[in-house]
Amino acid sequence: MASTLAPPPAADATDPPNRSVLEARARREIRLFPTPSYWVGAAVLLALYLVLPLVLSDLWANVLVLAGITAIGGLGLNLLTGYAGQASLGTAAFVGIGAFTASYLGRATDVNNGLGQPFVVYLIAAILVGAAVGFLVGLPALRLRGSYLVIVTLGFLFVTTYVLTQWKTVSNGNLGAPMPVGVQIGSIDFTSFDVFGMRDTPLGRNQGLFYLVWIFVAITALLVKNIVRSRPGRALQAVRDRDVAAEIVGVSLFRYKVGAFVVSSAIGAMAGVFYGLYIQYLTPNQQSIGLTLSVQFLAVIIVGGIGTVYGTVVGAVIIGGLPTIINEFSNHIPYLTASTVSAFQGIVFALLLVVTLLLEPWGFAGAVRRFKTRKLRRTMVPGSAGSTGATTG
Amino acid sequence: MTATEHAFGSGPAGTPPLLEVSEVTLRFGGVTALSSVSFDVREGELFAIIGPNGAGKTSIFNCLNAVYRPQEGHIRLDGVDLVGKRPSTTAHMGVARTFQNLALFKNLDVIDNLMLGRHHIMRTGFLKGMLWVGWAKREEIRNRVRCDEIAETLGLTPYRRVPVGILPYGVQKRIEIGRALAMEPRLLLLDEPVAGMNLDETEDMARAICQINGELGVAMILVEHDMHLVMDIADRVLALDFGVPIALGPVDEIRDDPRVIEAYLGQASTPGPGAAS
Amino acid sequence: MVLAGVGVVLLAILVFLAFDGPQKFFTLFAAGIALGAVYALVCLGFVVIYRATGIVNFAQVGMVVFGAFVTYNAVYTWGWNFWLSMLFSAAVLAVIGIGFERFALRRMTGKPIFSIILLTIGLYLLLQSLIGAIWTNAKDTIPNPWIGKTVSLGSVNILQVDVVTMVLGAAVLASFFALFRYTKVGLGMRATAIDQEAALAQGISVPGIVALSWAIAGAVAVIAGTMLGSGATPKVGLGLGISAVALQALPAMVIGGLDSPIGAVIGGLVIGVAYEMAVGYQTQYIPSLGTSGFADVLPYLLMVLVLLIRPSGLFGTRDVQRV
Repeated sequence: MASTLAPPPAADATDPPNRSVLEARARREIRLFPTPSYWVGAAVLLALYLVLPLVLSDLWANVLVLAGITAIGGLGLNLLTGYAGQASLGTAAFVGIGAFTASYLGRATDVNNGLGQPFVVYLIAAILVGAAVGFLVGLPALRLRGSYLVIVTLGFLFVTTYVLTQWKTVSNGNLGAPMPVGVQIGSIDFTSFDVFGMRDTPLGRNQGLFYLVWIFVAITALLVKNIVRSRPGRALQAVRDRDVAAEIVGVSLFRYKVGAFVVSSAIGAMAGVFYGLYIQYLTPNQQSIGLTLSVQFLAVIIVGGIGTVYGTVVGAVIIGGLPTIINEFSNHIPYLTASTVSAFQGIVFALLLVVTLLLEPWGFAGAVRRFKTRKLRRTMVPGSAGSTGATTG
Repeated sequence: MTATEHAFGSGPAGTPPLLEVSEVTLRFGGVTALSSVSFDVREGELFAIIGPNGAGKTSIFNCLNAVYRPQEGHIRLDGVDLVGKRPSTTAHMGVARTFQNLALFKNLDVIDNLMLGRHHIMRTGFLKGMLWVGWAKREEIRNRVRCDEIAETLGLTPYRRVPVGILPYGVQKRIEIGRALAMEPRLLLLDEPVAGMNLDETEDMARAICQINGELGVAMILVEHDMHLVMDIADRVLALDFGVPIALGPVDEIRDDPRVIEAYLGQASTPGPGAAS
Repeated sequence: MVLAGVGVVLLAILVFLAFDGPQKFFTLFAAGIALGAVYALVCLGFVVIYRATGIVNFAQVGMVVFGAFVTYNAVYTWGWNFWLSMLFSAAVLAVIGIGFERFALRRMTGKPIFSIILLTIGLYLLLQSLIGAIWTNAKDTIPNPWIGKTVSLGSVNILQVDVVTMVLGAAVLASFFALFRYTKVGLGMRATAIDQEAALAQGISVPGIVALSWAIAGAVAVIAGTMLGSGATPKVGLGLGISAVALQALPAMVIGGLDSPIGAVIGGLVIGVAYEMAVGYQTQYIPSLGTSGFADVLPYLLMVLVLLIRPSGLFGTRDVQRV
């Protein structure tokens, strides 16, 4: 407490050994995988990625494809909501924008006047369109906060479905439009996946999409992680915690509030491309791209852990897998009939969201963090091991 | 104690001041918060602003940071007018600040808070940040090292990775100074740096202020209630009363100025907690 | 100033339409006022909770649609009298609302606004899903004495159920304002909205006021939901279409100002009339906007317009930003 300024600063600023120690520590701290266990985890995930489609049934491959798509959109939303603190109900709108961009550019020329472009073209186009619209939505977000922003983004969602419905060239109106049939990158068609001719018959569509979607989950997660661990990520969090102070240290509110919208919307539109490929035929209405879908993305980041990258992916697997798990086990749940299964799924989803918010506001990642610190405390203070559990929570 | 010896009027003749505030008037609706306030701050000077509560001290800081936009007058830093700029621009121009009630980013750890001070020095944007390797990584390491050095200087190393929101008040005050230093400012605004501190902490803080001012040569404006501190360390003082400047000059003159005594000293018969020295 | 200009333009459009074809106009206008009454009721529920807690309560949407089904259950399954059923439903929803506050929202004090809003969305989805589980084979309208009947005023035809909605809405809103303006409880509500701690220090039972706010929100939700479920304009009937209508009250709330009860009424009526005018005239005068759906987004477009001119709405309190 006594000496706050022990050594004169001029001396150690030029002290070479000290500096190299600091540099080594900095290097260590900013690593993506700081400990060997992270490498092991990554290797396990890679193995799962390669093996799962070969062993999973079509149903579960289907579930994991949807989970992956939800993870991509959730990562974008977490950047906006978790890191930049801007709550949005507009995610589904960007999903719709991405999906219809892909549909219009990618579907064959003889199907509703499509343009017949390849996957890479419509994916990049969808990302760019999403970013551009995100910029426009981000502008009012500069001045709106909290409840206002939630309502305005909800309005944006309704306006988007309306515009998409009216824009018949793109969406074919209320009837909706099909997505491109095959998904080809180079010579690989992910809808009938058979890379090296290793199998007699190619993998099914869902298995192929699994490979495609989850590689994009990995890429998106890496890009988002890179943003949040570098200068722009810190700036976003500063804006979230205290925007006036952030501005005074030199963070441009315009650049980062709008920037968060641009990046998050671009990622949302990318998720939309895969969402379209997944459901194959898209109608621009509230049932397919509406409030419920937006809330699902929010639930993903809440259940997984707001402001964490890995938590988003975990949340997406939980939220994405839940309906199918309930469906599979519906025979064993009393009072559940075929007509009430979907209502029951909705109840479980809503309860999961409500209970998480009430009991574990930082979601899965928060629970993990608490478990870790409790373990740490137990090793440091042996006596207090028993008492910690009951009081927290 | 002060290493700088260029007191009132002793600066090199003809050198323009670092900061020049001229005839600044700020109104909120019908209330005049600042009325035609003028002063200047020279390179390396430790300037203090005193006045009773509601005198407009913090309002001056908010004008210097472009948070408020005065209706009249100019604020020139190195000859460039700050009025009408964005607050973020003032950081680029070299103005750093600490806050009366602390304005740290409470969910971020100490190093990240200091790194935010270097935001305007760093260049990595969304795209470079996304790609990370190469440029962004090197810049990150370089600036982290600098922040670690600042943390070391201020005795913050033990708390490096702790979210600042859970740290004690005195530590948070130091983190805020650290963040301001990380900005490598030319002009540092300190808003009541010793408010709520005990005697020891006040002395530590005073020493830190003098060190930053003396050794790093950073010009400072200090807003403070603790008159003893101001009289001990400041070069020149501006006294305000209800937004009206009542005196401006070297410490000795201000101490004896009857208007200041009436407006401030006479009234504040109970000085701040760190009064006895 | 700009706002007055916009108002004049909108009024001029209405006058033009009225002279263009009075019968169609006044039919639509009456329907618009009835719809506006529904919006005003839903919106009042939003505002009352916003004043008590500082958040937009999406659970209100679920309460509207759930309230409609509870009324339906009493009327159809138990064969109760319509009014008695509605009273019963109001009591049920008031209890649900107080329960939400006590067991969910109260625990969220000090959490980020975003989390609290999301919690209310979760409660909204919970109520909506419960409907699907409880009432699997509901009819498409709550049985009521006015089905299919109209009232004629000259050549203008108005649905009887719309007339009931207007009268009921006016009565409920009037009694709310009487309570709010002239009673001690109302004073407590106003004080609580300004400063909870100060209100507490003055001996006002803030928890009581908050509970009362939720009870009021539940009750007005039931009235709005029941009338919509009974076939009032826009004739969505008994179903999840009710929640789509209730969501339209959000832009009405922003237009009126998040914390203003009188704003809720004005905003609701504006949105109601605008909606019906769009339904009636858009395809005729601006066919380029498509054959359907424009009326549904018009409230949001009006909301953005108002936000641009006056960010705190027509009657809302401006929030002051501090460093």
